[in-house]
Amino acid sequence: MTQAVAIQPASNVRRPGWRGSGLFAPMVTWLALFVVAPTAILLVYSFFTGEGIGEVDTHFTLENYRRIFTPVYLDLFWRSILYAGATTILCALIGYPVAWYIGRAPASRRGKLLMLVMIPFMTSFLIRTYAWLIILHEHGLFNGFLEAAHLIPTVFSHPLNILYTPTAVMIALVYTYLPFMILPIYTSVEKLDPSLIEAAADLGAGPTRSFFRVILPLTWPGVAAGILMVFVPAIAMFAVTKIMSGGHIRLIGDEIQEQFEGGGDLPFGSALGMALLILFLVTYWISAGRGAKELRGA
Amino acid sequence: MKHFHFGLIVATVLSLAGCNRSSQKQQQRLHLFAWSEYVPQEVIDGFTKQTGIPVDYEVYDSNEKMLTKLLSSPGHYDLIQPSEYMVEHLIKRGLLEPVDQSAIPNVGNLLPEYRNPEYDPGMKYSVPYMAGTVGIAYNSDKIKDPIRGYQDVFQPKYAGRIIALDDNREIVSWALDVKGIDINDVTPANLAKVKPLLADWLKLIKIFNSDDPKPQLFSGDVDLGVVYCGDAAKLIEQDKKFKYVLPAEGAHRFIDNLCIPKDAPDKQAAEAFINYILQPEVSKIISDKFPYTNPNGAARKLLTPQQLANPASYPPDSVHLEIFHDIGKANADISQLMTELRNGR
Repeated sequence: MTQAVAIQPASNVRRPGWRGSGLFAPMVTWLALFVVAPTAILLVYSFFTGEGIGEVDTHFTLENYRRIFTPVYLDLFWRSILYAGATTILCALIGYPVAWYIGRAPASRRGKLLMLVMIPFMTSFLIRTYAWLIILHEHGLFNGFLEAAHLIPTVFSHPLNILYTPTAVMIALVYTYLPFMILPIYTSVEKLDPSLIEAAADLGAGPTRSFFRVILPLTWPGVAAGILMVFVPAIAMFAVTKIMSGGHIRLIGDEIQEQFEGGGDLPFGSALGMALLILFLVTYWISAGRGAKELRGA
Repeated sequence: MKHFHFGLIVATVLSLAGCNRSSQKQQQRLHLFAWSEYVPQEVIDGFTKQTGIPVDYEVYDSNEKMLTKLLSSPGHYDLIQPSEYMVEHLIKRGLLEPVDQSAIPNVGNLLPEYRNPEYDPGMKYSVPYMAGTVGIAYNSDKIKDPIRGYQDVFQPKYAGRIIALDDNREIVSWALDVKGIDINDVTPANLAKVKPLLADWLKLIKIFNSDDPKPQLFSGDVDLGVVYCGDAAKLIEQDKKFKYVLPAEGAHRFIDNLCIPKDAPDKQAAEAFINYILQPEVSKIISDKFPYTNPNGAARKLLTPQQLANPASYPPDSVHLEIFHDIGKANADISQLMTELRNGR
């Protein structure tokens, strides 16, 4: 990102005074109250013992963490990683061309196209998930369309059973997180200098080669940000998984909710939460490290 | 301080941030925390209209969720709606405020058999709201074979056609019934006995839903399932093809109550609400909307013969129905077992 460095007027950079720090204070307070404090509470609770619904024995124990390393919960983590990973890959495959198209569109149209990506955010994601129920259920809009198009019974012998299956969960996850992949990639694509692609072509690189050797590395910061913004929330997703799978597919987020709401084992729920946090940090570390390396390489 | 609540810490943090609600001016307001699909909006609006007290209405879909939320927000709710075993548990833990019956003259409308429940003798802490059963609802257009009990439902041929309550204790109790074990005898040994049966059943269930199974049964996404009688009664009202059966292996009933939690900010408003819903005309509205078994004798006189003949709302007296009791720490064993099974172990 040599352009970015060139634009920055280095001589004007000065350390903010106390007034400047004051501007930042609300952010610090917000973080301390709603991120650091709750996380500290979670950490402390994760070393206690659950005593029946909602009650806690405050003697120190590592039992909750030991319990995470039993097959049931390891499966749960593994399944969550798989679902989040598949969601991220699908979002990248679908999102990249969309972001490319928007980023290369005439500047006057980009705003409108971005608007289309943002429109779903104007409704609650739960309402949008319930809309999927109407579309996908056995006698729903999708199967109705297939029947009207005579694809049932010619191609498919009976209405497709999509709802309450892993496919339904994947559809909802990809649908929910796609904008989070498109937007950061778009930002990178928009900044990409077209003359670099022309140069690649002039120097004899075919379309495939210029994509993998020039375009992708240059837009990688956007892709890396997209991966982070999709993978991290997707791994902790709940409610949507429950609605779309009819309660069959449980991911780690559902289990944490169950521990806090239903089973009432707050310490174990806290330990699961801490494990998830560690998973986030690892994801961040990997993607940020990778992104930084690509940046240096470029 | 060996035992303390998560909510206490959260409350401390919030009060540090200056968000403590007690600093605000107190205005009369009823914080009602009740089951989903159970208290009609008309009734809530009617109460506000008659008494001038606005109602904050929050819902839950299991007793355990209610308890967890109650513990994490002490001094917030004025009125909760626990089932019989949860009333027993709450009394044991000293989490309920006694109900002043002199402030609720309409308790006289309750049928005598509901006035001295075994979980709360003399209704000191609870007033029955509605009662009901858990049973099997099925679509007789699709299901031609006789359905008599749980074993007729959970058959491989109905795989992917079944809906069930999303409630661990309920599901476990059905398996206990099939094995001829007392539903309140939840021991590790008994849970081990029902585990293989439950593992088979869970594979057959298409949807777990405690909120409202009616749309899925009505649309034909599923053809049969184990549901609350009120939902079954509603389906039968809409279409006679739906049938309701009390499982032959053993059926149980529930009695949901209105209770005032300890440290409720507005006990008077809570008692006013209890008294309000016990009026026959108001109680009838509840029965019209959510046709469970109404314990209110004066309200039953206002119901139509069709409503009283609905087999899901008013099962024959001859059937023996058990009730759940507080099983204490065995809840955690149920939770662990179901987590294992639902994660395919």
